[in-house]
Order: sequence, then structure tokens, then C-alpha cells
Amino acid sequence: MQLKISDHLKLEAIMMEIKAKEKIAAINELVAHMVKYKLVSDGNEFIKALAKRENLESTGIGDGIAIPHARTNAVEDLVLAFARSPKGIDFSSIDGKPSHIIFLIASPEGKKSEYILALAKLSRLLRKHAVRDLLRQAKDPEEIMDIVKKNEE
Amino acid sequence: MKFEKFLLVLTGDADQSVMSAAVQFCKNMNSRLFALYVIEPGRISRLASLTHQKVKIVHNKTEEEGWKLLYLLEDEAVENGVWTSLHLEEGNLLRVIDHYIDSYSIDGLLFKRKDDLKKIFVSSSIPVIGL
Repeated sequence: MQLKISDHLKLEAIMMEIKAKEKIAAINELVAHMVKYKLVSDGNEFIKALAKRENLESTGIGDGIAIPHARTNAVEDLVLAFARSPKGIDFSSIDGKPSHIIFLIASPEGKKSEYILALAKLSRLLRKHAVRDLLRQAKDPEEIMDIVKKNEE
Repeated sequence: MKFEKFLLVLTGDADQSVMSAAVQFCKNMNSRLFALYVIEPGRISRLASLTHQKVKIVHNKTEEEGWKLLYLLEDEAVENGVWTSLHLEEGNLLRVIDHYIDSYSIDGLLFKRKDDLKKIFVSSSIPVIGL
């Protein structure tokens, strides 16, 4: 299966600076942003699905990165969103560090393979130190998109 | 003795059956499941040589496959209400395992039965369970 992260990340789904200071507030803010741009039809249902996962795992994968994710019928297709927090948010990362870069993934219930592949590709991308640095320093959504496009394989 | 944290170690020959068994085991034990996929550089080189591919290509494929397995496991764990933590590391299998046992105070190891179980049995300081 061929899948590109950049095909599912829209410019309007990129928030350069999130206001929230803690995990649930950050998820709420990002989901509200997605609802505003009609990327998610039912924000409450999506938040419920995300919260279920957050209770059972740490989506903070370390090195300042969090990837909250869920399968939900609140979206019609695989959707990604990006947010940056200058001060960092506690996503209960295994390394104890706050998350400065947040990628959120939503996928319809029936698209499990695509969802798993998107998570795998994004995790691979974000393991690269150079990519993390570039994402932290990017000035606008276009630059974020450019970094993703240039570094995904 | 309470087994609060189990470490499931996955390598190149991992499959879905061992992950399902690990999730059910942790559910029954009411334990937390740490899932660790280890990329062994030696195995990558051998595979690249056998398949006449570049090491980097084999490495990238292996890494992506590792993450896919981890997220498949996570999906099943969430469905079953089992707490999980996903990890992917590169290096010597025994050394990586030792590091995780120490860093996360792991109580028991879960392995696919045919994996390098013998040498892990010998070297491990905690119980090892072959699934």
C-alpha cells in the first residue's frame, strides 16, 4: 500500500502555536480547529475516542513528540493535524520530557491498514533528529508541509 | 509476587499471533505491556546481502514494519483495555533488553517461543515466558 503523510495533512490543519498547556486541553483545541475547518464532523466523538487511548497508553513517544491517534467515524478519510507548543505539554512521555510537536491522526473505523501505516510512517519520520529540529524551527504551515514532503519516503 | 510490567520483545520474525497472546496474557494478569521492537544491525546486513538490496533500504523497510507491528499490537491492546507503551530500538538484542529491564523496572519478559530464547533464559535476571 502506498501512502504519503503529506497527502493527508492539509495546510489548514497546521497550528503553529497551540495555546493549551495540558494534554486534554491541547487535544480539545486541536480537534476544535479540525472541526472549524470541517476536517472532522463530530468533535465530541473524536475526543472520546482519543481519550480512551490516552487512558491506556502514552502517546508521547519521547524526544518532544506526541502522536495522539484514534479510529473514529467522525472522519470520512484519514486526516492528520499538526500543532506546536513552545513551552511543551505533558503527554506522559516515557522519557518524561514535555511534547513540543504534536501530530494528531484520525482515521475511519474501517480503514485500519491505512491508519496503522500512517502511524508507522509518521513514527519513522519523527525518529529523525534533523526532522524534529526542522519542525521546531519552521516559520509557517507551508514550511511544515515542505519538511514533511521532503523527508518522507 | 505481583507482575505489574511485562516486556514483549519483537524482532524480525515477529507475527500477529504472539502479539495477541501477549495482550491476552497481560489482560489476564492485569499487567502493563511494554512492547519493544529491536532492529538488529547484524540481521539487517545479512538480509541485505541475501536479498541483494542496499542496507539502507532493508533498514527502512524493517523499521516501518516494526512500527506497524507495534501499532497493530497497540490497537488490540486498547480494544482489550490493556495499558501499553511502544518502543523501537536499534542495537544488540541482549543489551537493549537489559537496558529496558533496568530503565522501566520490568517484572517479566515475553518472547516468541522460537526466538533466541535460550540465551535470554540464561542471561535474564527476571522470568522469561515463551509465547
